[in-house]
Amino acid sequence: MKEYLNKGIKEVVKQFPRIADILDEYQIGCGPCSVGTCLLKDIVNIHNLSPEDEQSLMAKIAEVIYPGPPVKIPEPARRQGSGSREIKYSPPMKKLVDEHVLIKKLVALIPKLIEYLDLESDQGRQLILDSIDFIRSYADKYHHAKEEDILFKYFDPNLDILKVMYEDHETGRAHVRAIVAGVEKRDKSVVIEHLNGYQELLSGHIKKEDEILYPWLDRELSTSQVGEMFSKFNEIDKQFGCTAKRYEEVIKKLEERFKIEPSLSSMTSWVKSH
Amino acid sequence: MSNFEGCPGSKMHDFKKKDDQENGLTIKVASQLKHWPIQLHLVSPAASYYQGADVLLSADCVAYALGSLHSDYLKGKSLAIACPKLDESQNAYVEKIKSLVDDAKINTLTVMIMQVPCCMGLLELAKKAAAEAKRKVPVKYLVVGIQGEILKDEWAIN
Repeated sequence: MKEYLNKGIKEVVKQFPRIADILDEYQIGCGPCSVGTCLLKDIVNIHNLSPEDEQSLMAKIAEVIYPGPPVKIPEPARRQGSGSREIKYSPPMKKLVDEHVLIKKLVALIPKLIEYLDLESDQGRQLILDSIDFIRSYADKYHHAKEEDILFKYFDPNLDILKVMYEDHETGRAHVRAIVAGVEKRDKSVVIEHLNGYQELLSGHIKKEDEILYPWLDRELSTSQVGEMFSKFNEIDKQFGCTAKRYEEVIKKLEERFKIEPSLSSMTSWVKSH
Repeated sequence: MSNFEGCPGSKMHDFKKKDDQENGLTIKVASQLKHWPIQLHLVSPAASYYQGADVLLSADCVAYALGSLHSDYLKGKSLAIACPKLDESQNAYVEKIKSLVDDAKINTLTVMIMQVPCCMGLLELAKKAAAEAKRKVPVKYLVVGIQGEILKDEWAIN
């Protein structure tokens, strides 16, 4: 069993596809992960299962790997707060989760951006570029300044779960570059393809961070590190001044416009006045 | 003689362990206390050991209930102790904690209280001070059972 606990999840699932379903039963959605190098033993730790759930999960996995007489499975770890499904974040982590709320609002507006996509008029193109400005300035610079430059620096960059997050960030940036290129070439299909790609990526990415990554990182950080991180986040907020407030307004206005008058003409008039 | 059944903080319990099962007397535990004084009325936020520190604000009884206080919770922290039930002039406590946050620029505040209801007053006092302070710091709290178990360990979001 130890041999498989130290193998990457993708390799284990490839050899024993049934294990992906077993992980799903415990709300561990590693089966379709694009990277999949997290070790089986780390996945159990990261997901903070109760000792009872951990034991039954490991027993089911062992049955698949070693059919026949039961094999010895490791004792479940007694981690503080393990098994609790209620997520309570530390103050700096809560700040990141709150910033996700605004990013999710933009992501939720993407179907509308696609529905009313107009790359022939200046105003129509500007609408997409304004959304891209939000992604680049708020999501990537302001939010990721905290995440990549501060939070992740407390951990080994070779951690598989962090590699997955970095890869998601890079994929997001690639979608953004493709959208901008599509706008410049007035190529609707490219813009639509990458807006959809960004929406799909971010929906899953934020869920992974909010529900799996941040709670796990919180459990790994010392009280002193949390305080230090909180203080560094406050410094970033100071450096960026009114960025957060400004982009909250951008999203609010965008939401209001789409909700009240979801027509292209009203959108373009909003863009003019914005 | 019947036990007094009034205030939960004063209710009598006898949980003497059989055969001294924890063997606590056989091990010498090093003190993690690194400064004096520690009583909240007596401490000065100007003291060097509070500057930028992770501060533990503990209810008096915690040290007696929790065997591993020094190694698990006091280590690396600066301490202040108080009793929200019996201490006088508790408004001064709010001002003192505010000064720790604003003047000593502490890194974090961890409040440890007992499970008895009156002890919650210390957490409320700390939260009030943290909310009134100009700076913001993460406030964490732990609730200790009367037999030394950790019943709660959470961040208090202001």
